[in-house]
Amino acid sequence: MKTVLVIGGGVTGLKAASELAGMGYNVSLVEKEDYLGGQVAKHKYYKLAPDLRLAGDVLDPVIKAVESNPNIKVQKHSQIIAVSGGAPEFKAKIKNSKGESEETFGAIVVATGFGHFDPTVKQEYGYGRFKDVVTNAEVEEMLNPNGPTKGELKRPSDGNIPKKIAIFQCVGSRDRQVGNPYCCRVGCVVSTKQAIEIKEKYPDSEVYVYYMDMRMFGRGWEELYGKAMEDYEVIFTRGRGAEVTLKNQQLSLRAEETIMDRPIQHSVDMIILAAGMSAGEGTIDAAKVLGIKQNDYGFLSPKDDFLSPNESSKPGIFIAGADKGPMDIENCIVEGAAVAAKVAGSLKN
Amino acid sequence: MAENTDKMVIDGVELTGIWKEFLPSRILYEDVTTEFLDEVKKLPGGSTIVRCYQCGTCSGGCTLPDFVDKFNPRRFIDLVRRGHYDILVNENKDLVWKCVSCQRCTHRCPRGVNTQEVVRAIAKFLEDRKVFGKLTNDEAFDEIFMEEVIEDGRIDEVKIVKDFYSKTGRLKEMMSADQLSLGFKMLTSGRIKLFGGKIKDWKKVSQRLKEELQ
Repeated sequence: MKTVLVIGGGVTGLKAASELAGMGYNVSLVEKEDYLGGQVAKHKYYKLAPDLRLAGDVLDPVIKAVESNPNIKVQKHSQIIAVSGGAPEFKAKIKNSKGESEETFGAIVVATGFGHFDPTVKQEYGYGRFKDVVTNAEVEEMLNPNGPTKGELKRPSDGNIPKKIAIFQCVGSRDRQVGNPYCCRVGCVVSTKQAIEIKEKYPDSEVYVYYMDMRMFGRGWEELYGKAMEDYEVIFTRGRGAEVTLKNQQLSLRAEETIMDRPIQHSVDMIILAAGMSAGEGTIDAAKVLGIKQNDYGFLSPKDDFLSPNESSKPGIFIAGADKGPMDIENCIVEGAAVAAKVAGSLKN
Repeated sequence: MAENTDKMVIDGVELTGIWKEFLPSRILYEDVTTEFLDEVKKLPGGSTIVRCYQCGTCSGGCTLPDFVDKFNPRRFIDLVRRGHYDILVNENKDLVWKCVSCQRCTHRCPRGVNTQEVVRAIAKFLEDRKVFGKLTNDEAFDEIFMEEVIEDGRIDEVKIVKDFYSKTGRLKEMMSADQLSLGFKMLTSGRIKLFGGKIKDWKKVSQRLKEELQ
């Protein structure tokens, strides 16, 4: 029986591994961090849109399915440093704290995922200059009861709970300036979800969302948007945040209310940047080591976007999840299962 | 040089630079307030205002713009929601009343906003804030009409005409020969009666109505 190498222990990799193991294949899961769960675990995602169910409800069963399966060998703190050979026999060098080892695999699944866009590049938003300008991932950590603030949304500068909160959409997405002209696909719904969570926790607070378009295409997302407007009175302003300054020791944002053709200056206590997705470090490394094709933005290119979405440019190497482009957790799990089926099919031949 | 109030000093370093001194920013307003939204929401018919996502279906299909330039329900809603009270009063206080209640907007709204009622609620909101100054004839008549309905449960023609003229300060006009002869003709032909009939037990209904409208 051939062994399948799965690179990446995020939701996609976990799902792919457990599906393949379920079909009787031996799987070796390689994760560079010392925990499983990828970005979801790293940034302690608290609740998931649109149902506001706990991220743990989704992630824990997926992790458990992998850890409890004897056919899966999980190698944490490990990285693939070189791969030679080709389908159906790859030789991969795996490096970890104990040293290097070489193993043979029948197929490789790349599920290296995405990275959060670093908004320091967008200097006008003052991330890194102003303590109270934070990213959506940091808010996720704050809202999680197991996070650094024990579930309280606190201003990093003074530890107070902010009263007026602004959320900037499309930070590092749909932006040629930073080389990311694509849509991050999840920012809208994550911001809406966070706005609802904040309003639920602090009903006195005011949450303002500055957006270009609300792209609520997923299951239940548009309804969530309606809920945010109707039940939680989140104020949505069409107009991209332009800049953040300090005015009388308070954060002051500037934007245009494009519907009314009116530039606006607005003083708030905290600004959340809905930073988009970019190709993760792991994805860029994997592309280099495996020699598979990337698109203009660093994500991995499928052999054919329509007809073989899970095959890389090289036979025997399969790709799935957010390393192909921005993707939500729901679809990552679908991708994980889809790639498992594809791998199983190819190993049979 | 004008004093720069927007200086941004971080760790002793001024970051904004001098350019702000000679490049005035085009800020038309500061801050957003939901004060007015909260008020309109509580008025009868105003609750669905929060659903609006500013698509413009209402204004796009509105009957009025052909006749009343600048009549724009979407804009009224946005002005209230974002607290642009000054614009609402200065530019739109005479417009919001022009709605003819054809209900096209209400039936078409993809978000289920009861647009006609919301526009009505905005008009009521402005009325409550007494932004209209002197009453126009229409408004005075509306007011007397409603008062009379609530008070007596029916309209007494003689009384309403008398009240209308006195409210608009034109009692003299009512006593003109024209008006008097018209009134006499109507009286003799049975079109109007000097004393309208009473509705039995209306007092209770009236009381209840007044409570409700409080």
